[in-house]
Amino acid sequence: MIEIRHVSLWYGDGRKVVDDVSAQIGRGQTVVICGPSGSGKSSLLRCINGLERFQEGEILVDGISVRDPGTDIHRLRAEIGMVFQHFELYPHLTVLENITLAPRKVRKKSKGEAQDKAMELLHRVGIPEKALSYPGQLSGGQQQRVAIARSLAMEPKAMLFDEPTSALDPEMIKEVLDVMVDLARSGMTMVVVSHEMGFAKEVADEVIFMDGGRFLEHKRTADFFASPENPRTTEFLSRILV
Amino acid sequence: MDWGVIGRNLEFMAGGLLLTFQLAGLAVAGGLIAGIVLGLCRVSSLSWIYYPASVYVHFFRSQPLILVIFWFYFLVPILVGKPLGAFLSTVIAFICFESAYFAEIVRGGLQSVSRGQVMAAYACGLRTLQVQLHVVLPQALRNMIPALTTQAVVIFQDTSLAYVIGLREFLRRVNLVDTREMRSVELFLFAGLVYLILCSAGSQLARRLEQRRVGLAV
Repeated sequence: MIEIRHVSLWYGDGRKVVDDVSAQIGRGQTVVICGPSGSGKSSLLRCINGLERFQEGEILVDGISVRDPGTDIHRLRAEIGMVFQHFELYPHLTVLENITLAPRKVRKKSKGEAQDKAMELLHRVGIPEKALSYPGQLSGGQQQRVAIARSLAMEPKAMLFDEPTSALDPEMIKEVLDVMVDLARSGMTMVVVSHEMGFAKEVADEVIFMDGGRFLEHKRTADFFASPENPRTTEFLSRILV
Repeated sequence: MDWGVIGRNLEFMAGGLLLTFQLAGLAVAGGLIAGIVLGLCRVSSLSWIYYPASVYVHFFRSQPLILVIFWFYFLVPILVGKPLGAFLSTVIAFICFESAYFAEIVRGGLQSVSRGQVMAAYACGLRTLQVQLHVVLPQALRNMIPALTTQAVVIFQDTSLAYVIGLREFLRRVNLVDTREMRSVELFLFAGLVYLILCSAGSQLARRLEQRRVGLAV
């Protein structure tokens, strides 16, 4: 589904942000990427849907190259949902309008059709009563659930999560994770940048530890927690699994 | 002091005020629309869009308005082969000139919308123009309301410059009355008062709109 081949990315000053990483994420799989901040996790995630350009390597989504200038990157992005750390709901639109914007403009759905789908998704994330509210009137957890619904409205083949719970108050983390667990179990292909190791243990097929732009550990979930090989992984885990 | 001069010529002067409003209205509407297009060009990453727009903006911002009014009055008839008349040529001059200023306000507004919003919009599969139109521009316009109203008030005052080509707007008519009645002190005090009242109303409106904007950004 998502194939990452020897991808490297560096900024203008020559600093390597992502350094020759490779991975394959199969259809329906959930992969969690963890690691200290500044380790290149978010940059790598943005490479997958072409929000960030990488200089070397190749990423294929469903066999289509992200980097190839011949690829219609907008069409490719429509197939990949993305959820951000700071939600990024459009503040000038209601919840319903947030969810229906892309389906109407990109998928050319009728207003009624898009709204029906949006309401169904709002039921799924548990806040149908907020359809006519503005994002500013919602709690962080509610906003993030709307953001997930907004991505799902495009009926994506895969979902990318960029630290979806790290800007949330502790009591709101669970409501968002519950939605994500549900999504992973429904067979969605997911790449999740997160430090929520409980979530990783529960639904991830594989876990990757990233530091300095490289994958230092990449294992099946059970093995990752039971027998990490890299001392940096052990140290990182011991620090976040207090 | 003979304040009666104002009453005697009120209708004539009010006619000029109407023209002033028409000119200002068209200048603001046309300048804003053209300014939005130019502003969008100014944030484009495509150099063939960015550079011509930037040259245009820089050029008009480097010229005095009064000169631009002259040009359009004397040059455009040569180009199109027939005189346009004082009003139309002034309207075009104002739109061309003010669009450069609006463009800079719009550009600032567009840049005030966070990168995260832009990324989120792209991530949903929206194309560049859709991202600007549906996500960036509405938020930017809301942020720009104070600067836009200020600019509109400035334009309202600047319409008086149209007197140089004989357009009989408000101040020009006050002037005409003065040549006839020789009551400069009364007439120009009156003119000042009219501008003061109208521009204060404009600023007050700007403040209202801004408060509403703050209220919305919960």
